[in-house]
Amino acid sequence: MPDIYLVGVGGQGIITASKIIGDAALLAGKNVLLSETHGMAQRGGSVVCTARIGDVHSPLIPVGKVDVILSFELLETVRAACNASKRTVVISSMERIVPLSVSSQKLKYPTLEEVRATAMQSAMDFVAIDAVKLAEEESVKMSTNVVMVGALAGTGITGLQRDHFEKAIKMNIQSKQEENLAAFGKGFGETAKA
Amino acid sequence: MLGNEAIARAALEAGVSVATTYPGTPASEIGDVLARVAKDAGIYFEYSTNEMVATEFAIGAATSGVRALVSMKHVGVNVAADALITFAYTGTRGGFVLVTADDPSCHSSQNEQDNRYYALLAGLPLLEPSNPQECYEMTKEAFELSERLELPVIVRTTTRVSHVRGPVTVGEIVKGRKKMEFVKDPSRFVTVPAVARERHLALLEKLKEAEGLAEISKFNKMRRIGKSEKRGIITSSAGANYAMDSVHSLGIEVDVLKLGFSHPLPSKLVGDFLKSHEVVLVVEELEPILENAVRALAQRQSLKTMIIGKSDGALPRAHEFDQNIVEAAIQKAFGIKGEATNVPMIPGGLPGRPPVLCAGCPHGATYFAVNKAVGKKAIFASDIGCYTLGVAPPYRTADLLICMGSSVGTAGGLAMVNDVPVIAFIGDSTFFHAGIPGLINAVHHGHKFLLMILDNRTTAMTGHQPHPGSAVGPSCCDITAVSIEDIVKGCGVKWLRIVDPYDVKTTTETVKEGVAQEGVSVIIARRECILLARRDRTGAGARKPHIDQTTCTRCRTCVDKFQCPAISSIDKVQNIDETLCAGCGVCTQVCPSRAIKEGK
Repeated sequence: MPDIYLVGVGGQGIITASKIIGDAALLAGKNVLLSETHGMAQRGGSVVCTARIGDVHSPLIPVGKVDVILSFELLETVRAACNASKRTVVISSMERIVPLSVSSQKLKYPTLEEVRATAMQSAMDFVAIDAVKLAEEESVKMSTNVVMVGALAGTGITGLQRDHFEKAIKMNIQSKQEENLAAFGKGFGETAKA
Repeated sequence: MLGNEAIARAALEAGVSVATTYPGTPASEIGDVLARVAKDAGIYFEYSTNEMVATEFAIGAATSGVRALVSMKHVGVNVAADALITFAYTGTRGGFVLVTADDPSCHSSQNEQDNRYYALLAGLPLLEPSNPQECYEMTKEAFELSERLELPVIVRTTTRVSHVRGPVTVGEIVKGRKKMEFVKDPSRFVTVPAVARERHLALLEKLKEAEGLAEISKFNKMRRIGKSEKRGIITSSAGANYAMDSVHSLGIEVDVLKLGFSHPLPSKLVGDFLKSHEVVLVVEELEPILENAVRALAQRQSLKTMIIGKSDGALPRAHEFDQNIVEAAIQKAFGIKGEATNVPMIPGGLPGRPPVLCAGCPHGATYFAVNKAVGKKAIFASDIGCYTLGVAPPYRTADLLICMGSSVGTAGGLAMVNDVPVIAFIGDSTFFHAGIPGLINAVHHGHKFLLMILDNRTTAMTGHQPHPGSAVGPSCCDITAVSIEDIVKGCGVKWLRIVDPYDVKTTTETVKEGVAQEGVSVIIARRECILLARRDRTGAGARKPHIDQTTCTRCRTCVDKFQCPAISSIDKVQNIDETLCAGCGVCTQVCPSRAIKEGK
């Protein structure tokens, strides 16, 4: 019953990513619950979604039970890292969206190595994905979310098959389907064991 | 399917004819789905001016005999309450279902009131789904119940029900009747005192019948986990989800009575449950409504069952639950030992990422101009919408905020007892919703303040729903746009100006002039929401400015007094991110040394 904690910034396609995971689970004949953030919580703010695959009742993941933190943004990876435990794999995009507070309050944005170090204080593993580059390689700049879903799928932690994800992508993304599937493949290749 | 989508689907399958709403998180998607499909589904759907009007419109249709659905967020029911409570007296002919989406933890609300109280207050049947499948089933059942009892029925969700996606098994869509004939019956439907007195008695009778239906409802079921005869849990809504997951995770034996049809309380079912268990924990979010009812029942039946809940501190009365909270309460209630879980703490010193006004947002430009015009000495009465985000630095343009429309009313009181300028901010949709009576009051009594109507041509925060000022409505409606300036003039306002917030200089000067007026003055700051402008490609376009680093004096005005997600200041150097920039050009007017150059 893998529990996936998705974080990022409003506008990064996190809800779509969670819907792809949800549909992939349904295609595999498994129960799934997704939760998402709306309204006031958007507008460029931090966004948290959850995806729980298996026979659970609540969409929120209890403390210590997160299997994967799938983060679309480096700073949000740090913010989410406190939810990691020894069972948690952190998959983080290397994308940086510098919040206004860095400019207005003269705060420092953490480096990749600082993010990795913070995550590894509690997590089992940390994988950084250059999602922006991989999406651009397939000329779908906006599809970093699909790359990240690929990276999640590649780990095998979800227990779902590759073709479940690919069918779910076709269900949720209408434009540039071939390119998006290729972007998914790029993400998949980053984490899949040879 | 999203919980809200499941509710919309169920209404269509129940043959709903009329659906109304005023958008509000976490209820908005119910209306948004119906707005899209209304024409194809052959139903009438409208985004009403406010929740009261939405409810009244649906009452007109339902008392004529068709089925009607009204949806709103929890605080919307406060607006609709005047209609709802007396409607319980007259009752309905066609099925009438009111969906209230509550928001424990105030994810996107100004309070976390528990709207189950409205079922108690009005005396109405209450259904509480806990997941999308139940949203679907209970909404369908609510229409049946409503027609059987001839009463409006409340379906109450929470954020963690409305905004959860899960599998839903659906059925066939049924077309409802579009036309009916209202059968006159003033002794029921005209609530003069003599009628109202009789109808209250009729309502109390119907509640007894409703209780009988709750006793046998398929939504009120006991789940036996293991063979425990001693321990019981009574629960509802999202609380039931946490309870079930906790019981599973702890691996304990316990009987769980989940109440989906929770008002009127099925007192035989609950009484029998109490009698057959020694310790009963009541798991419900927010107010101890079930708990108090269960305790009263135990007292009436002289039961010795130990009842545990909020009044003994086992569970909190504020904010939403999670599994950890409920698991700890179960351990405490039943004396089960377990490891304490540490609540995760986000490390300090991390750059925050609160929601902010978008790049190119006209409200940001307006606030910059207002700050420039009146400095820090003015008091700002704010209202509900994106523009409430002006509360944060650098603008700090919100000093008092209560509810929809409160800016106009509170501004009068603030101005009466304070000797500084008072400026009220209200959005276009909110002005239509609840701002107009306040404005009439201010004109009539000669209150002295400046009202700024921040007209971005849409209901932006909840997902860009249309409002009475919009030129385009839902798929089923031909609509007429209502002019804000005509309303303002019609209310008797003598000093009215319309400005484009992207013109910072004119806006600043107009604000200065506005606050100097005797009596109430009104400025409409009109510019389409940048998200819509970008979507429709009618925005300021691709003339994206850049910072000329040789002219820039590093004065930080563009980051300290103006706030744009596209402008960053890293290592003392200011820059504009071309991807984020909306090309509004406001920053070129903000820069005192003219270092921000217009794009070519």
